[in-house]
Amino acid sequence: MGASSIDKDSQKGRSVFSALWNAAVLKALFWRPAARKPLRLFVTVLGVAVGVASVVATIAASRAAVRAMREGVSEVAGRARLEVTRPGGLEESFLARLRPLTDRALVLPVVEELALVPELGDSVRVLGVDLAVDGAARNVNFRGEFVEAAMPSGSDLFERSLQCEGVLVPAKLASELSVRAGQKLTLLARSRPVEAVVLGVFDPGALATAMDRVVLADVAWAQEAFGRLGRIDRVELLPRAGSDLSALQRDVAAAAPAGARVAAPSVRADSTARMVRSLEFNLTALSGISLLVGAVLVATALATAVVQRRATLALARALGATRGQLAAAVLCEAALLGMGGGALGVVLGAFGARGSLASVRATVAAVVRGVPESAVEVTPAMAAIGVAAGLAVALAASVLPLQEALRTPPVQGLRRERPRVLPRKVILRSAFATALLVGAALLLLQIPAWSDLPIAALGAALALMACVLTLAHPAVDALARAVSRLRMRGKRAPLRIAAASLSAASGRAAWAAGAVGVAVALAIAVSTMVGSFRRTVTDFLEQAIRSDLWVQPVAAETGVQVGRLDPEIVTVAQSIFGAGYVDPFHESMAWIDDRSIALGAGAFDVIGAHGSIPFRDGRSAREVFQSAREGGGVLVNEPLAQRFRVGEGDMIELITSSGTIRKRIEGVFLDYSRSQGAAVLDRAEFLRLYPDDGPESLSIFVPPGMTPEEGRARLAAALAARYRVEVRLNREIRKEALAAFDRTFAITSALQLVTAVVAVIAILAVLSALVDERRRDLALLSALGGERWQVVGVVVAQAGFLGAIGVLLGSGAGFATGWVLVKVVNLQSFGWTLQLLPPWGALGGIAAAVVPACLVAGLAPAAAASRLRPAELLRDDD
Amino acid sequence: MLWLLGAAALGAATPDWEKVSRSPELSFPRDHGAHFSYRTEWWYLTGIVREKSGTELGYQMTIFRRGIDPAASSPGQSALRARHMLAGHFAVADVAGKRLVHAQRLRRVDGQLGVASEKDLCVQLESWEIERKADGSLSVRAADGEAGVSIDLQLSPSKAIVAHGEAGLSRKGAEEGNASVYLSWTRLATRGTVTVGDRKLEVSGESWFDHEWGTSQLGPGVVGWDWLGLRLADGRELMLYHLRDASGAPIPQSGGTLVERDGSARRLSLGDFSMEPIGAWRSERTKANYPTRWRVKIPSAAIEFEVEPLLADSELDSRATTGIVYWEGPVRLRGAATGEGYMELTGYAESMEKKL
Repeated sequence: MGASSIDKDSQKGRSVFSALWNAAVLKALFWRPAARKPLRLFVTVLGVAVGVASVVATIAASRAAVRAMREGVSEVAGRARLEVTRPGGLEESFLARLRPLTDRALVLPVVEELALVPELGDSVRVLGVDLAVDGAARNVNFRGEFVEAAMPSGSDLFERSLQCEGVLVPAKLASELSVRAGQKLTLLARSRPVEAVVLGVFDPGALATAMDRVVLADVAWAQEAFGRLGRIDRVELLPRAGSDLSALQRDVAAAAPAGARVAAPSVRADSTARMVRSLEFNLTALSGISLLVGAVLVATALATAVVQRRATLALARALGATRGQLAAAVLCEAALLGMGGGALGVVLGAFGARGSLASVRATVAAVVRGVPESAVEVTPAMAAIGVAAGLAVALAASVLPLQEALRTPPVQGLRRERPRVLPRKVILRSAFATALLVGAALLLLQIPAWSDLPIAALGAALALMACVLTLAHPAVDALARAVSRLRMRGKRAPLRIAAASLSAASGRAAWAAGAVGVAVALAIAVSTMVGSFRRTVTDFLEQAIRSDLWVQPVAAETGVQVGRLDPEIVTVAQSIFGAGYVDPFHESMAWIDDRSIALGAGAFDVIGAHGSIPFRDGRSAREVFQSAREGGGVLVNEPLAQRFRVGEGDMIELITSSGTIRKRIEGVFLDYSRSQGAAVLDRAEFLRLYPDDGPESLSIFVPPGMTPEEGRARLAAALAARYRVEVRLNREIRKEALAAFDRTFAITSALQLVTAVVAVIAILAVLSALVDERRRDLALLSALGGERWQVVGVVVAQAGFLGAIGVLLGSGAGFATGWVLVKVVNLQSFGWTLQLLPPWGALGGIAAAVVPACLVAGLAPAAAASRLRPAELLRDDD
Repeated sequence: MLWLLGAAALGAATPDWEKVSRSPELSFPRDHGAHFSYRTEWWYLTGIVREKSGTELGYQMTIFRRGIDPAASSPGQSALRARHMLAGHFAVADVAGKRLVHAQRLRRVDGQLGVASEKDLCVQLESWEIERKADGSLSVRAADGEAGVSIDLQLSPSKAIVAHGEAGLSRKGAEEGNASVYLSWTRLATRGTVTVGDRKLEVSGESWFDHEWGTSQLGPGVVGWDWLGLRLADGRELMLYHLRDASGAPIPQSGGTLVERDGSARRLSLGDFSMEPIGAWRSERTKANYPTRWRVKIPSAAIEFEVEPLLADSELDSRATTGIVYWEGPVRLRGAATGEGYMELTGYAESMEKKL
C-alpha cells in the first residue's frame, strides 16, 4: 500500500493524521531503527522518564505537605468562619469582650500546642477547646456516644473531660499507639513529659486526615498542661445562622486587642501556604533541571535519528513523500518518546514522591510548625501533566532536528553533507541569536522577583544556557578551520582530516557539541551554586556557631524539633553556668505592614560578649550587639533586608503582640537557616512585648574552668528528672548542620552523573552518524595508505573536538548561569547573599570526565570505521 | 423546677456538695446570688406582656447552674476549669401568631462568657443576663439571632420576696436532704421591648421570678412534675406543683404557696388543693401527651378555676443543653377566679425514671 497511499495523501494535501498512521513511512523511519537500536531507545525514554519523574515526585510531595498543612488549618477549624489570633496568644479576659457578640456567633476559645509523642516519633497537635460547646463546631464522634454539647446526658466521659482528667484521642492514633481509654499517653510539650490519661477515643469521621494527628482536651487542661494560665492561643467564631459575616468581623476586630488579627481560618492557611510557596517553587525549579536534561537527551536522540536516516528521509521525499509526512514521522517519534518517557516518569515519580515526602515534609516543617502527616497522591491531573511535560519536552526538542530533516533537499540529503565554508549568513544569524539571548538575559536580570519567586532570573539562566546551542555551530566551524589551517603533515594528518570532516558536517557536529555543552553547562551551573552555597554555609557555621553547648527540644523522626523549651530550663541553665553565659533564643511572630515575619530574641549582652554572628557589613558582633543594646535597636536578617528593601540605620515599624514599635536597624546579619524575614530584639525587650513561652533553643558558652562535656553532664543531670531535651556540643551541631545541607543537595550530585551520561550518549550518537557518513572519506584514507590507527585517530579526534567544544561552550555558559543562580536567583528567592565560589574543581572534574568520556565514546564508532572495507565502499556509490 | 431532673442525672450527689436539710437563714442581697456549694441552682423568669395594640406575648428566660466539680480552685489550676455549667433557655410565645420561638445556651462559669455573682443577682450567660439593679429592679436581657427573638425588660417587684415551704425549705422527697431553697417574686411589673422577627414591640405586663438551689432534691420514683405559677386577677398569686410517681399520682411532698394581696404567704400541702387534668395536647414531634388543661380547687381559700394554655404547642426541646423535652407556656385562668401565669409540665416526652 506504501507508494499509492503516499501519492493519494500528497494529492489531498497535508493530512498530518493520515500521514501519522501511514504504516510504511512510520515503519521505515521510526520502528525499524528503533528496533535495531533498542538500547538507545530505552536510554532516551529513560532520560525523559527521569526528568518527568523528578518533577512529578517533587510536585506531588510538596503538594502533599502543603495540602496537609492547609487541611490541618481549615478542617480542624471545622465550621468556624472567623478567628482571632495573636502571636503569644490572647488574654482569656478577651472572651468577655466578645460577650455582646455572642447573639451572632458561637465563641470558641482554643489553646493549641505541638507535642511530641515519643513512642510515635512524631508530633501531634493538642487542641484545647471548650468541650462543652465545641461539638457544634467540630462535630467529633466519640466512640459509643456522640457528644454534641450534651450536658447532663449522664455522659461520664464528658464530665471527666470537663474536669480536666485527661484527653481524647482519634481512633487512628489510638490504634497506632495501641492505647485504650484509661491508659496513659506521654506527650512531650515544651520539653516536659506530660502524662495524659486517655479518657476516650473519637472517630474523626470525614475529617480523618486532618484529625489523625490531633489530640483533643478541654481548654483548661491544655492551659494547665502547657503553661498557658490566663491565656488562650486563639478564639474561633462560628456565626449563627443569618448573621452578617463582614459586620461580625468588623465588630470582633473592634473588640480585639492590639496586635490581634481577625480573619477566616483559611487566611491563616493561605499565609502559611504562602510561606512554603517559594520553597515549593524552588524545589520544582530544581527538579525542572532534570527535565531539561531529559530534553537534551531527546533532542540528541532525534537529531541523531534524523542524521542517521537522512538517506531514508531523502529517499522517501524523492519517492514523493510530502514534508508533512516526514514531519509527522519525526514528530511521531518524538511524541512516542515523550509519552513513553512521561508515563514511565509518572510511575517512577509516584514512588519517588513517597520516598521524598519525608524530606519535603521536614523542609516544609522547618518553615511552618506542625505539618500534619499526609499521604502522597499522584492525581490523574498530575499524571496527565507529567505525560504532557514529557510530550512537550520531546516535541520542543524535535523542533531543530525537524528543521534539519525538512530543510535538506532530497539530493543533498542523499549526497550527505559536503565540505563547505560556513556561510557568513549562518555565522551572522548565530551571532545575532546569541546577542539576542544575552540581551534578553541581561534584561531579565533587571526584573525583580515576582512575589518572591525568581521567575525572570530563572528565565535569564535559561537564556544564557541556550547560548550554547546558538554558538555551537560557528564554534565547531571555527575550531575545524583553525585546526585545518595548522601545518599538519604525516602523523598529524588524521587530526586535520578530522577537523575537515567536522567542518564539512558542522551542522550535525554542532548538535553533538551543543548537547555536550548544555549538559556541561547544567553541571557547572549547579556545581557553582551548590559549591558557593556550601562554602558560604561552612564559613557561616564556623563563625556563627561559637557556643559550646546547644540545647534544643527533642526532634521528631523527621529531624524537626517539636515545640519549645520550658522557661524553667533557662533558669536551670543560668544557675549552672551563670546568666552571662546563657543565650536563650526566642521566636514569635510580628508584622511589617501586612506581611508576617519571624520576631526573634536573644540575650544581646551574652552574644555580644561571647558569640559571633556574621554581619553583612563586616562589623564585629561585639560592636553591633553593644550598639543595639544601648540604642534599643533591632537586628534583621538578610532575607528581611532584601525583602523589605531596608538596611543598616533605617527605621522599621514592627507590629507586635503588644502594639506597633518603631526600631532602628542596627545590623543586618547573614542567616542561611531561613528564607523568611526575621528581626531580632534583645530578650529583655521581647519579654515585655510577648509572654514567656520559653525559647526555641539555648546557646551556652561554658564559663572558664569547665569543659563543654562537663557542662553538658551537669545540665543533663539537673534537667533529667523533669525535662527531656537534646544537648549537643559545638562540633556536633556544626557537623549536623552540614550533614543536613548535604542531604538537601544530594540531588545535585546525581545531576552531575546524569550530565556525564548525557555527554556520552550525545557523542556516541553523533559520532556513529558521522562515521557512517564519512565512510567514503575514511575508506579513501585507507585506500591511500592510511593506517588503521590513523582511521581510528580521525574518529577519536572528532570526538575529542566535539567534547572540547562542548566543555568550552558549556563552561562559559555554565559559569554565567551559575553566577545568575548564586547572585540573583538565590538572593531573590531566599534573600541570601552567597560568596561566589568559582567552580574550578567542578570544571576541572567535568573537563577531566567529559573529554575522556567523549574520546572513549569515539572509540566504538572509530573501531567500526577501522573495520570498513575501502574497496567495497569505493566501488559502490551508494 | 426543671433543674431537679438535671440534678438527679448523675445519680446520688457526692458528699462534697452541701445539702439543703433545714430552713435557710436568708440574707439579701447575698442570697439573690449564686450558691456554688450546692450542686444545682436556677433563676427563672416568666411573664405575659402586651403591646398597646393588644399583641400578647409570653416569655420565659431561665438560667440554670449545675456544679461539676465541688472542689475549690487550687494554685496552678486554670480559671477556665468547668467547675460549674450555666445553661440558658429562652422562649417567646407569640400568642396571636401561634408560635413559640426558643433558643438555648450553654457555657461554663469562667468569669468571661459565663458569670454568676455570689454577692447579688447577676447571672450572665454569653449575652443573656439577669441582673438586680441598685434600685431593686431586675434587668433581663436575652437575644438569639438565629431564632430572631430578643427581650430587654425592666422588672419591679410589686411584693416582697416569698420563701416557699418551711421558711424557704422546699421538700422534694421524703428523705433528709431531698430539698431545695425556693424563693419567688410572684409579681413584678414589667416593661421594655420584645423583638419577634422584624417586629420590635414596646410592651408592658407582669412577670414571675423563681430562684431555687439545692443538691439532691428529687426523691426516687419521681418521674416528672406539673407546676403552675399564677397571678390571680384579684391581686393574689398562686404556686402549685405535683411531683408525680410512676403511676401519675402526686407524691406527698407536692404542695404550693398562696400569696395574699399584702404579700403574706400561706403554704399549701397536697391535701389543701386539687389539680385535675381535663384536657391534653399531643406533640407530633415527640408523641408526648401533655395535660395542658387543669381544674384547680383550693377549698380553704374558696378558689376554683380552670387552666387553659394560650398556646397549645409550647413544647421545648432542650436536649442540647439540659437533655430534656418539656412543656412550658403561658396560661389563662377561667372560672370563679381569673388570671394568668405560666405552666411547666415535665416527664411526658420520655420516662424520667431512666434519668433518675
